[in-house]
Amino acid sequence: MINLKGISGGYAQPPTINRLDLQINKGEFFTLLGPNGSGKTTLFKLITGQLLISEGGVYIDGKNIATLSKIEKAKLMAVLTQENKVAFDYTVEEIVSLGRYPHQKGILKNLTKKDLAVIEEVMELTYISDFRKTAFRRMSGGEKQRVLLAKALAQEPEILLLDEPTNHLDIKHVFQMLDLLKKRQEKFGLTVFAILHDLNVASLYADRIAFLHNGNILEVGDVGILRKEDQLKKVYDVELKSRAHPTLPKPQLIMTPSYTVSNTLDFNKSYRIKQTKEYIHVEFKHPLRTISNGVIGEGIQWLKHFCNFHVTKDYNCSEPKSDLQSRMIKHSIPHEQAVGMMTAVVLEDAVFLEDEFEGIPMMAVVTAGTGNAVDITNKSNTGAIQTVGTINIFLFIDAHFSDGALVNGIMSATEAKVKALQDLKIKDSQSNTIATGTSTDSILLGLTQQGEKTPYAGSGTIVGKGIGQIVYSATKKAVKKYLQRVHEEQWL
Amino acid sequence: MRSLYIRKFLTNKVRWLYVFSGGLVLCTALFALFISSVQVPVSTILHIIMDKTISLGWLDDIARNEEMIIWNIRFPRVILAFCVGASLALAGAAFQGLLRNPLADPYTIGVSSGAALGAVIVLFFQVTINGLGSFTLPVVSIIGGFAALFVVFGLVRLSSRSLSIETLILAGIIVSAFIGAVVSLIISLSDRDSMTQIIYWLYGSVGMRGWSHIQLILPFMIIGTIILFYHYRELNALALGEDAAENIGVDVRKGKTFILIGASLLTGAAVAVSGSIGFVGLVIPHLVRLVTGPNHRHVLPISMLVGGAFLILADLLSRTIIAPKELPIGVITALIGSPVFALLLIRERIGRRG
Repeated sequence: MINLKGISGGYAQPPTINRLDLQINKGEFFTLLGPNGSGKTTLFKLITGQLLISEGGVYIDGKNIATLSKIEKAKLMAVLTQENKVAFDYTVEEIVSLGRYPHQKGILKNLTKKDLAVIEEVMELTYISDFRKTAFRRMSGGEKQRVLLAKALAQEPEILLLDEPTNHLDIKHVFQMLDLLKKRQEKFGLTVFAILHDLNVASLYADRIAFLHNGNILEVGDVGILRKEDQLKKVYDVELKSRAHPTLPKPQLIMTPSYTVSNTLDFNKSYRIKQTKEYIHVEFKHPLRTISNGVIGEGIQWLKHFCNFHVTKDYNCSEPKSDLQSRMIKHSIPHEQAVGMMTAVVLEDAVFLEDEFEGIPMMAVVTAGTGNAVDITNKSNTGAIQTVGTINIFLFIDAHFSDGALVNGIMSATEAKVKALQDLKIKDSQSNTIATGTSTDSILLGLTQQGEKTPYAGSGTIVGKGIGQIVYSATKKAVKKYLQRVHEEQWL
Repeated sequence: MRSLYIRKFLTNKVRWLYVFSGGLVLCTALFALFISSVQVPVSTILHIIMDKTISLGWLDDIARNEEMIIWNIRFPRVILAFCVGASLALAGAAFQGLLRNPLADPYTIGVSSGAALGAVIVLFFQVTINGLGSFTLPVVSIIGGFAALFVVFGLVRLSSRSLSIETLILAGIIVSAFIGAVVSLIISLSDRDSMTQIIYWLYGSVGMRGWSHIQLILPFMIIGTIILFYHYRELNALALGEDAAENIGVDVRKGKTFILIGASLLTGAAVAVSGSIGFVGLVIPHLVRLVTGPNHRHVLPISMLVGGAFLILADLLSRTIIAPKELPIGVITALIGSPVFALLLIRERIGRRG
């Protein structure tokens, strides 16, 4: 569709853009990325014709745009920049109708019925119909940009060129605007060529991305380019990590500032435990790097409150998450910063264990019940038996884990738990085989992220062994307490 | 359907504005023909005009002197006032649109001074360019206006990259001051007779000119008006800025050139026949814009009508206020125009800050 063939141009000497080749396909959302001064805007202006191309040419469908008249060019491509100054109090409608300029014919150049229909349509599309009589200058930045977009769309272009159109906009308006463009792109096959400066926004909207660095295209490709951390670090000179978007199959970049706050804390004095019949609450002074499958605080996060709430054994709530949240609110625990679990086990039987393995302090809190013990390898399906039976493990470690090590740590802890059940000969009541856990076990690993970063926490490492030992003994103790209580209750 | 209704109402509103401003022109013209030391009844005035223009008279015995006064003195004066006012207002509207600046006008950006210098040179040296005859004055005047325009733009280009309001007006003032000095020099070099003639001419007047001056201004006025009317869409598009106008398909360079030519033709011709009359081009388009909105499709023609009517009234004031003596018409327009200009300047600053 758009073919840049060896174009050069720009004010500097040698030219900012030097013999650059680039191809943009019909109907795609193409994004040009690059740091300030990489020549993005120069390249953009070479395409729009604001700057003179000194060498090479821009071809659209095989036609050199230098041979097109201004009107022909305006019918083919519309431009939207971050510039939104308009002189005089033109109304929104008047601004939008300027977009019909290239289509107007005759001596009087009146707006035809078709012109009016197009104007109406693009105003609907950009949600500005209600402002049609408002003076453009009195509108907010986001609204102004929508009006100018409507004007650009009124040109009925095949190509839309955007130069950081969302620069001054808040996120609501950024997404509103880009969603709109995306819709237009999908519905009418509009080709979009956009300079964006937000890498994460680009990742969400672009079909293809080109990286411009010092006037050269470093790489062209799909959003996968944004997974190349080393290249991005080199271009932007910022510490960053490429992470997966939580719900979309797109990368998102997480930037780390070069300044760091160093405050070493004494692990054993950095937390406080509160235990009542209703709940156990472990509160840390500083947020911990956590991995958990708790009802609240799942996944990998930074959190500082860790709670285990007591519920009745026939607890059956359709919304356990909001129930837990309201319980936390009742006890003034900020649930956004918490991991929350629940158990029917008597909380007095909780086991608290502190230990140190080769200089790595750890602390485990375990509540256990084995009424729902299950052998995960057994085929027979457990029915809906509601008895007391969940093993909830909190494990806090004064160490620095990578994300991989966190997963490793979960493995180590789970293996230790299974071993504890095995040694106590806890059985799956259905299959009568040794159980591997209960049907609703929860686990949490919390790391202070102090000291040197470890990428592994499996059984081959000191910290892995430590996890195994502390989880094993805490779980064993907790299960024993539970069995004791069950035994006593039977005799009562 | 609501929008259709509004649109209909608006086109009606605009139509009414045309009717109103057209009526304004007719009324002021009749008023100006009627009010004078020698009062002629309205019916006689109408008869004379109809008789002279389309030979459709209905009265039999018209006094010869009444006919002389109306047809040879007052009517050309009213028509000339209209032409000058219309030209200046239209040129002002065009300059303002082109420069995206409601404070621009032929007077503030120095075009009037340039045109005046051209006219003064012609008056002083009594030159006649071969083949132009009596058109020498307006032609040299227009060329003077162009020259001043180029100098002003050159100054702005050299001093700042953007065409900012302040720089443009400053440059206009600088150039006007310089030209004023040259004009003073010429005046002081001239003899007493041509001195009074030049000074009086500089203040601006549409009196004692006769039909010959209307013949001088009319061709330039028609050409300039056609050029500007033809480019109303470009003027609208330029409100977006030159780059953005280019992006919607406007040939900005060509459009700008034509608009500058049209506006300078109008200004030069107006200055040539009447001297430099300030503030008409500034105030009228601005007031019109307040009522019609900024769309040049209506701003241009309505500014013409209102500007014409305004100058007819100003001329009427200038010859009645201290009758039988006459005030220069430029004094009247400046007395009204300067405070309005000051108000606009303040409003513009507040508007930009807010």
